[in-house]
Amino acid sequence: MWHKNDGKPSPEVPQPPVGGTTKSQVMPPETPAALTVEPAPIAPTPAPRVTIPEPVVATAPAVNGASRIQAGLKIHGEISGNSDLYIDGELQGKIRLGGARVVIGPNGKVQADIDAGAVTIEGSVQGNIKASESVRLGAGSRVQGSVVTPRIGIDDGARLRGKVEMVKAGSTPSASTAAAAAARATETEAPRPIAASAKAE
Amino acid sequence: MNWMAKARPSNTATTPGSSAKAPASAAAAARSRAPEKPGPTASVAPAGNVRISNALKEFLWLLSDVPRARILDLGPVWQSTVTFFIEKGYRVSSEDMLREWKDFLTTEEERLRMAPVGEEVERRSLPALAEKFIDTALNYPENSVHGVLIWDLLDYFDPAVVPALMNRLYNMLHPGGTVLALFHSRPAERFHRYRILDGQTVELLSAPTLAVHAHVFQNREILDLFGKFRSSKTFVGRDQVREALFIK
Repeated sequence: MWHKNDGKPSPEVPQPPVGGTTKSQVMPPETPAALTVEPAPIAPTPAPRVTIPEPVVATAPAVNGASRIQAGLKIHGEISGNSDLYIDGELQGKIRLGGARVVIGPNGKVQADIDAGAVTIEGSVQGNIKASESVRLGAGSRVQGSVVTPRIGIDDGARLRGKVEMVKAGSTPSASTAAAAAARATETEAPRPIAASAKAE
Repeated sequence: MNWMAKARPSNTATTPGSSAKAPASAAAAARSRAPEKPGPTASVAPAGNVRISNALKEFLWLLSDVPRARILDLGPVWQSTVTFFIEKGYRVSSEDMLREWKDFLTTEEERLRMAPVGEEVERRSLPALAEKFIDTALNYPENSVHGVLIWDLLDYFDPAVVPALMNRLYNMLHPGGTVLALFHSRPAERFHRYRILDGQTVELLSAPTLAVHAHVFQNREILDLFGKFRSSKTFVGRDQVREALFIK
């Protein structure tokens, strides 16, 4: 099937030089016309499909309709409002987005206190996080500061330096945590947010 | 609170400190909690490597009377550990001390390396570096923590660093507060991280080695290390890992 020996002289095929070469070292013939190229036979059964694992690319969860701070952008200041926000750049300051969703992408670097509805972190955050719904720390996340939320999800590999505190779902973070913090201050001395104090100095 | 006057918990566990294989249910739980998407640690960690920890059981019992106790975990943060304590109404703080220490040393080395030629750069001794590190890494007020999970980290810190660390931990602990620590009787073959599965089950996760096993503490050294603490209790497992509890 692959080779017909019909008595005709076979076209000249360049032979490897003495000493031998590996297949990858064989150079193409100088006269390609000397070669006869036959169409490849159709295999009766499909060859097993080889799946090549896709390279691991740091991707952030998509946030449809969110305002985006793309990688390469640096922002200093306060961001407030009620729109979802995706940060893959750098931000320094404060984020106050009520019940909106905030996503810190894998390239995102945030040095700010975050007050939002749901916070998902794949990048790094230095600051205190308050979320009225949930906080999720992705596998590549690095967080320095306290996390106050009714629900928290921590992927293996996440790095957290700070405290985790649970509040009742639906409570406004700013109001509840302020009251809780005041109560704690009299009840017991709570650890200071490490990152905030360390970086502030 | 009078810790010592508390009624002892019912001994439903296996023999103290036994590192026998955990019940099938615990192992199954460990497997079921294995992450779907393996992280950096999970990728090298066979799930289901668990040990029964009587020291953990005692640790929890000692904390049971403290409302909203604050727990400080000196290992990496794990969902299961955080959930376990949060469900009990405790507050959890996490400080991956060994990793932070390594990062700190790397930064320090970088500072020395990048210093301009000819400029006098202060080269600090290891104890001095440890003091500086602990000042920033364990920035907690005095008497603010009710329980500390050290795991086996003391075995991996340079012995010059350990006294400063212990001093800080003692100051942070609330009177009556408890420390849980593990000590290997021989150099550990693998570097493990620990996470709590339930009230007396700890999962050991093989992890990329952050530090070599620096020191095997003898009993006398351990007692000296925790000399300021007023009470101690140790459990020796079949794997020769000593679990120790110390009460301030």
